[in-house]
Amino acid sequence: MTASGYSYEHMFAFSTKRPTLPDDLVATLRPVALATSRRLPLGEPWRTLVPGGGLRRGSTVVVQAPPGSGGLSLALSLVSEASTRGHWAAVVGVDDPGVVAIADLGVDLRRVLFVPRPRGAWAESAADLLDGVDLVVVRPPSRAAYGAARKLMDRVRERSIVLIVLCEPSAPWPLPADLSFDVTRSQWITSSRLDARYLTVRVAGRGEAARSAEHVVVLPNRRGRAATS
Amino acid sequence: MDRLLVIWIASLAQESPDGSTLRDYLALLDALSVLCPFTEPVRLGLFVLPVRGPSRFFGGEEAVLEAVRQTVRDVVGEEPLLGVADGLFCSELAARAGVVVGVGLTERFRRAQPLDVLGRKDLATTCRRLGLHTVGAFADLEPARVAERFNTHATQLHRVARGELSELAGQRDARLAARLRQLRGADDVHDEQIGFFGQRGAGDDRAQAAAHRVRRRLGLDAVVVAALCGGRGPQDRATLVPWGSPESVARDDAPWPGQLHAPSPATTLVHPVAIELRDAADQPVRMGSRGFLSAAPTTLLLSRYARRDVVWHAGPWPSVERWWAVQRRRAHLQLVLATGEAVLLVAESSRWWLVGIYD
Repeated sequence: MTASGYSYEHMFAFSTKRPTLPDDLVATLRPVALATSRRLPLGEPWRTLVPGGGLRRGSTVVVQAPPGSGGLSLALSLVSEASTRGHWAAVVGVDDPGVVAIADLGVDLRRVLFVPRPRGAWAESAADLLDGVDLVVVRPPSRAAYGAARKLMDRVRERSIVLIVLCEPSAPWPLPADLSFDVTRSQWITSSRLDARYLTVRVAGRGEAARSAEHVVVLPNRRGRAATS
Repeated sequence: MDRLLVIWIASLAQESPDGSTLRDYLALLDALSVLCPFTEPVRLGLFVLPVRGPSRFFGGEEAVLEAVRQTVRDVVGEEPLLGVADGLFCSELAARAGVVVGVGLTERFRRAQPLDVLGRKDLATTCRRLGLHTVGAFADLEPARVAERFNTHATQLHRVARGELSELAGQRDARLAARLRQLRGADDVHDEQIGFFGQRGAGDDRAQAAAHRVRRRLGLDAVVVAALCGGRGPQDRATLVPWGSPESVARDDAPWPGQLHAPSPATTLVHPVAIELRDAADQPVRMGSRGFLSAAPTTLLLSRYARRDVVWHAGPWPSVERWWAVQRRRAHLQLVLATGEAVLLVAESSRWWLVGIYD
């Protein structure tokens, strides 16, 4: 060691001990998670019924129900929790949204964009919205073409958002979905008015969600919300 | 044509550079809205309100006029000019003359006016040369002859003169309502609303950009946002406005007696569909004036060939709305069909309308 040769060792020598953080700060820290592995939160009753407890970003969810048997309510109930947590959603192709019912389901209307009548351009409109929102609910007016569906699902994976497709058994989504909800039965409970509806839903998926199971949920209940039966 | 009361305040007609006129105008509008919630700002210096409802409440037109005069004197400190007649055009003329035109006499009142009141000097001069001095004389011309000789402006004026239109084209200030809202502070300075987005974050900006793209593709009113407001039926409580329009100030925090309970239909038709209900004997089901059905409905006819069996119904729940003005009687009815679908119907003007589907 010469007079000119300083030892710089001490500059790089840092303690291997982790810095001590105040407890209240530690409580708020989240582990680093990549966008693809992040999940959008789901509310009751889906939190316990869907594998993983949330909607994986980049995935496509297909809700299939006969007309008038609760498909729209089901699709919107998947949006509600994420919407209250500050995520934006878009609803494409639902011509006459029942705003009161949507609000009752717990969806924050301030963060929902509706494109009620996209005419022939439902796929293009949905693709336009993919860059700006976290969930897109789309109801194709007729059976979706294979190419358009493929392109849309690729974009969804790339942008790591969640696409919820609402279709009827007569016009199914042409590609396998990451997660699918099949309404097989819907039954209204009535008193002096419509009270609640019991939906029998088959939930199936791919990969970690591969096993399929049938569940009965109340959608909507007396307060217009989704609930466990 | 509605019977209207027009209030003309000369000192509020001229725009002042410091905006004090507009502020006074707004203060007076708020004060008059307490007397009658349907008070409309027409243009600076001019208000209009329907007189039938308030006159029942206050006990006669004279009482309404007195209440309005008192309010204006309290707020502005000036005597207003008041006039009552049918339609905005004639009631403004009545206000300028300071008269109340009797019920059914508006036609004669209008016909006796000089032609200058239509506001077109060239037309008035031409007509005077033709020997037509009053609105009535001009109105007696054949519409086809007027269209032949004059331009479309004159045909519009001719329709006003004949009483087919109730107001002149330039009589209302279209920008006034927006200016008053802005003065109240409800609007942001930008036309693009901020309020729907609440506090802005990066996500909000992205959503805004996405909405812009869809609008470029499909047109200005393609993207809509929804809000809740007061009302009884689900179709009344929903407001769908094109994205980017100013935020509405309506709130849904007031109690609404007779409001339909949850669950609400997830599909609420903007344009209700006329349908028919039949009973077991295939006779139309009607709702009587006491709110009872003539028979239990068993079939719903969407069209002649689309019949659905009804397995359950609830209601009707009648509601009488705006009984003081243009009365509205309707009733809601819930049905469950044999296919398992549930629908919401409304009886109005002795027909059944499909307004919602519990999808």
